[in-house]
Amino acid sequence: MTVVDALELIFHDFAGVVQATLTFNGALWIGVTLAWYVLALNIHRFVKGSPLLHPLVVTASGVGMTIALVHGDIRQYQLDAALIHWLLGPATVALAIPMYNQWHQVRDLGWRLIAAVGAGGIIAPLLAWSVVYIFDTPLAIQMTMLVKSITTPLAMEAGAKIGGVPALAAVFVIITGIVGAVVSDLVFRLCRVTSLQAQGIAMGTVAHAVGTAKALQMNEHTGAMATLGLCLNGIMTAIVVPLLFG
Amino acid sequence: MKTIKKSLTGWAGLLGCFVTGKLLVLLFDFPLPGALTGLLLLLTFLILRGQPSPSITAAASPLLKHMSVLFIPAVLGVGLYWDDIAQHSTALIGAIFVSTTVALGLAGMAAEKILNKRIATSK
Repeated sequence: MTVVDALELIFHDFAGVVQATLTFNGALWIGVTLAWYVLALNIHRFVKGSPLLHPLVVTASGVGMTIALVHGDIRQYQLDAALIHWLLGPATVALAIPMYNQWHQVRDLGWRLIAAVGAGGIIAPLLAWSVVYIFDTPLAIQMTMLVKSITTPLAMEAGAKIGGVPALAAVFVIITGIVGAVVSDLVFRLCRVTSLQAQGIAMGTVAHAVGTAKALQMNEHTGAMATLGLCLNGIMTAIVVPLLFG
Repeated sequence: MKTIKKSLTGWAGLLGCFVTGKLLVLLFDFPLPGALTGLLLLLTFLILRGQPSPSITAAASPLLKHMSVLFIPAVLGVGLYWDDIAQHSTALIGAIFVSTTVALGLAGMAAEKILNKRIATSK
């Protein structure tokens, strides 16, 4: 493929997204999604950031109900609201910023940090995969499980590269994050994990952005380490998994 | 005017990395996802530059803050796989609920063991 062909392909994708957005249905469904999101943000603030009512859960339920009431066609909604999905690309690139802001920690803690994140980054997918393997689920589900502990945009892309299902990856990842954030206090008490740094790394590595949000509420140091766990594990898993299973 | 220019420069930087990442993946048949390649490009750029870029940070922060809403179309796609999910519900519940809880505890203990020395000396 030449550079021109590749650029044309990228442009063609983008042009399709713009075209879908500039229609009545495009504007309508993007508007519906944003309206539910604003409502969800207010609800989340009202319940003081409880992970059970994460804005994503409320928005997805709200938009899902609206679609069911209006036409019930999820594929059509995905076409109409393509711009929202497309923005995930630039948003993924933007993850470089929190990673860079914690870069001094990476240099400071060195290999210990990589090893600590790597440990969680191997344990979590391995456990999840063994469960679905024992139950003999289809290969697509097994592959999707491997990426469930990393941040959604990376999980969807890395999952697709190894024959997983991006939509399932998104849902597995988000439920994983919510479970992690909800059980974290109890788990750390039971396992006697007292170091705030270790708690942060585990939260970011195993429960990605939802866990990181919870860690930020717990303590500033915990939050910073969770951000590192989230970014480092996301990058490492998204590099290693396609190389091993792609 | 200044803020408009700043956010336009920032967006140009973000999109530049994104498109270059996709381009590299298409041209060289990279095994990595395109957006991840873009992330690594931006990170390399920032590390080489040695200081944060205010314009890119300005463009990136709303995307990072409201990333949740960007997942909605993808998450709703799960409705298309409802039969698969129902058929394998036990395995999925075990893999997501049970294994995440256990993994969180193990990851915390592992991180504590590995980091322990370093933190004890830095305190």
